[in-house]
Amino acid sequence: MAEEKEKKYTTVSIPTPLFKKIEERIKGTGFTSVSSYVTYVLREIIAEDAESEEAFSKEDEERVKERLRALGYLD
Amino acid sequence: MVNYIVSGLERSGTSMMMQILYLGGMKVAFDHKRRPDEHNPKGYFELEGGKIITRLMEGTFPMEKYDDMVIKVTAYGLRYLPREFQYKIIYMRRDMEEIFASMEKMSGKPLSEEEKIAFVKLNEYALSLLERRKNIDYIVVWYNKVIENPRREIERINKFLGGVLDVDSAVQAVDPSLYRNRNMEVKR
Repeated sequence: MAEEKEKKYTTVSIPTPLFKKIEERIKGTGFTSVSSYVTYVLREIIAEDAESEEAFSKEDEERVKERLRALGYLD
Repeated sequence: MVNYIVSGLERSGTSMMMQILYLGGMKVAFDHKRRPDEHNPKGYFELEGGKIITRLMEGTFPMEKYDDMVIKVTAYGLRYLPREFQYKIIYMRRDMEEIFASMEKMSGKPLSEEEKIAFVKLNEYALSLLERRKNIDYIVVWYNKVIENPRREIERINKFLGGVLDVDSAVQAVDPSLYRNRNMEVKR
């Protein structure tokens, strides 16, 4: 179990003052940790890079639909 | 006349919000096609066994029957809402890592990074759609803020809804013991 968890996450170093600023910034929001906020922001950047034309492409849509079927939300 | 909708990504707390509104005295529309289970012990509060999106995509969902009632339409379905109706939408947000953990648990299949990015994009797309469409009035509610302080959040929601909720009763719907899949990553 511990091994599995280690594969899912790795460590990225950021300056401590920046960490503290982010910690302040997410206070009162729904983000529960600096890590999850930073992950969210990084995914948004990757998403912007990958898809410049469409905000939510056909490919994304197919990925979402496949998962929604697995969760029982779509036929 | 207005249709009330609870939305958000799957596993963002939409069922909890439906229950809040139900206990708060709103007319909430749901059927029992999908039974409560370990993932949603208090029930899903959905129509069409959760497959309302399929009906919306086909254009066969009778929205007019649900005037002045609350229905659940998760984020992907928002783009298919008929344009001729007025909506008041409560959009649930939750830490994405928690959503992904819960989705993986429920479907028994890990999400790829591409899938995670697709859901982040869907979330952003849904929020921008709420902002753009003139027939939509909306409020964003964070799941963990409801868990932290149910009364404060429900009072905020009640203001958005025009004061129709019985807040004391609605608060009873919030059960912090169901806050599983809490983001523990930083606490390793």
